[in-house]
Amino acid sequence: MEIFSEYLIKIGNQFIDPKKRVFVAYIAISIIIALGWFILNRKLSLKKAIKKIFDKKIFFSKSAKSDYKIFFINQLIMMIVSPLLITQLTIATALYFYFHSIDWLSVGMFKNTLPIIVIICFTSFQFTLDDFSKYIIHRFMHRWPILWSLHKVHHSATVLTPMTVFRTHPLEGIIFSLRSSLTQAVSISSFIFLFGNSVDLLTILGVNIFVFLFNIFGSNLRHSHIGIRYWRWVEYIFISPAQHQLHHSIASEHHDKNFGAALAVWDWLFGSLHHSVEYETLELGIEKNQKDETHNLKDLYINPFIEIKNYILRRLKKLRNKAYSINIKRRIFHEN
Amino acid sequence: MKKILLIATALVFSFGVSKSFADGHGPEVYGPYPITLKGYDGDKTNSVKYTGQMARQVLHDSLKKLVKTGDLEKMMAYYNGEDGLEIIAPKSKDGFPVMQTMVSEIGSGNLSGKMYKGAIPGWGGLTGPETLEHMMQKASEVEGGFDPDTGFDYTQLISKFAMGAVFYNQAVNNYLGKKMKIGEKPNNKPYKDGAYYTGKEHSWDEAFGYWGAPAHSLTLSAEENYNVAKMKDLAAADYNGDGVVDLYSEMLYAHAYYASSYDKGGKTNYLATVNQAFIDGRKVIRDAGGRNLNFEERTEMLAARDTIRENWQKVIAESVFKYAGSTYKDIVALETIMEANGDTTDAFRKYAKHWGELKGFALALQCGPENLGEAAVKMNRMMGFGPVLLNASQVVGVQSNGNFIKDQAQDWGEFKLHMLKIQKLMVDEFGVTARANDQLSAMEDLASTMGSSDSAEND
Ligand SMILES: [Zn+2]
Ligand SMILES: [Zn+2]
Repeated sequence: MEIFSEYLIKIGNQFIDPKKRVFVAYIAISIIIALGWFILNRKLSLKKAIKKIFDKKIFFSKSAKSDYKIFFINQLIMMIVSPLLITQLTIATALYFYFHSIDWLSVGMFKNTLPIIVIICFTSFQFTLDDFSKYIIHRFMHRWPILWSLHKVHHSATVLTPMTVFRTHPLEGIIFSLRSSLTQAVSISSFIFLFGNSVDLLTILGVNIFVFLFNIFGSNLRHSHIGIRYWRWVEYIFISPAQHQLHHSIASEHHDKNFGAALAVWDWLFGSLHHSVEYETLELGIEKNQKDETHNLKDLYINPFIEIKNYILRRLKKLRNKAYSINIKRRIFHEN
Repeated sequence: MKKILLIATALVFSFGVSKSFADGHGPEVYGPYPITLKGYDGDKTNSVKYTGQMARQVLHDSLKKLVKTGDLEKMMAYYNGEDGLEIIAPKSKDGFPVMQTMVSEIGSGNLSGKMYKGAIPGWGGLTGPETLEHMMQKASEVEGGFDPDTGFDYTQLISKFAMGAVFYNQAVNNYLGKKMKIGEKPNNKPYKDGAYYTGKEHSWDEAFGYWGAPAHSLTLSAEENYNVAKMKDLAAADYNGDGVVDLYSEMLYAHAYYASSYDKGGKTNYLATVNQAFIDGRKVIRDAGGRNLNFEERTEMLAARDTIRENWQKVIAESVFKYAGSTYKDIVALETIMEANGDTTDAFRKYAKHWGELKGFALALQCGPENLGEAAVKMNRMMGFGPVLLNASQVVGVQSNGNFIKDQAQDWGEFKLHMLKIQKLMVDEFGVTARANDQLSAMEDLASTMGSSDSAEND
């Protein structure tokens, strides 16, 4: 019973906590931005714009429905799993201890720095590091076959809604959670070590100000059918909704592009940037999925495990064959 | 005859009612509790007596003051509880007059006979009495109780170790340990021949005396209790309103004082928890009315006992935590001064004092009922036998003739880190929560501001 109420609270929190992506105010702002986009940029009437935004075909599609279900299931799984995961504080403490053993570092080296500067530095460092680590992990998710098996669950969505953010395999969720703990630990421990107790986070409604701004500027639209594009030069710096929609595109020329979360600079720096295209020209999802339209939950949760198992078996077999052929070569060599 | 019986019944009944009424409401005072010993026909009405313990509290306070003088003979006199000793502390001061001036006005007792007898691994494996006597001997050889050559602050070492080896040890191991066993100091017999209190009553009372709280401690806030020990709040101390503070029943000492110091921060409630447990357990014994405790009563009494032990241990662990934090800060300050080639004298003195408190409390913690095992080994190793000295040496042992052995010290950075690890050890092993001088709290606060991401989101 207690677990059940805890679960309901956790679900509710997703919508009333400003730290969460789908906080109602962020959703509301996204709707206003979408309205503005359709009316001003696409010259639609208000009525048409509203109809376009609240498109039943999208929100009641098979794909979206499985997003909703996955959301409810994952919240439960994460509620059980997350207490078992290493916390940012444990990692931060270990790092903080470690810094003591580095000769050229001393605790409180820069403790006389003006607090406001410390706070601004910490807040931007944390945001940048967090965003960069998201980029790196995301890239690996696409590169590494085992991780791709997991990440594919997200890409199997054939329509995008703000809830697609939760369309994530729980194992991938665990990886993301560890990534977040690690980056927080790095920034917390290094800043406290160097700057002392004046370190703090610049926040709005308790949220890192940059994260808040990212959400205010319509972060929910990246997973939606509203293809807002930025000016070309802006898309080098910030990922536009249409750029992330392109990341979900089925077309092979769009594969492995735009891994970034908030900042596009990482994609630009590492050669994976692709400017946005018209949303209407995109087909979303992954090939297999596109063909048989399966959004079956069992497949989404279990298939990654089967794929990973098969992948490992295949690799082992290859390895064995290789060892075998080396052996044969050796024998031939000896006989000669 | 019938009438008398009726009146007697009514009296007993109303007494019972009013008693239970008093029990259930408002803060309670430890004692007086009635005589329950069967067959007692003397004129005593209160079975509570812990005069020897309170005499030892003032012996300890006085001894602490004496360390600075380096007068070994005098230190030994208080250690051995000789006759005709003047109370050196606590002494009357402006606005805080105390009732007694001689130890014998409170009671009789000594510290030497009540020491923890086991080996003290943190002090070269000497036995408890050997350790304290060694410390006093060494204190007499230096100026003002402090040895700049080894960094030992004997005032702190002697005081804190004695608190553990006598008060904590006697209370939790002996009176609440051994003497609470079935068959030991039974409740249906006097504590000793001719006594007016039972075996269990008196054992329990003695443990309360070693805790060091005034009988009316629960009627005061943590802050008020603290100010009683600091001799700053006469109104709080003088419970019976006679204008003077009775060092037997109205003063706060040693462990209870440290408990109050943590509790006034608002995060913990050690003092009241332990006081209440002492009262709860004592009432179980009272209610047994001079017979042996039955199973339920024993269970209830032992539950109170466990509460006392657990919280008392935590109070000592809080002190280890606190002084590890101070020592850490002192090392950081020392490093800064050394880098600038400044004068380290005062900073080193402060560092040695805090390290001495850390060491003393760490030794005290090991005088409890359970073997702390790995935690103790780690703790002793990390803080060292002696503090790291400015010339990168450190006391590492003691020879059979009592001289210290010095060797190359741990690296400063490593030693500093050890202080943090000791703090972490106290949190992990003992669950300390007051956490004075917490060197990791800033990280904890920041981590909780940022929160964790645990909802499986895909950007
Ligand atoms: Zn992706
Ligand atoms: Zn996506």
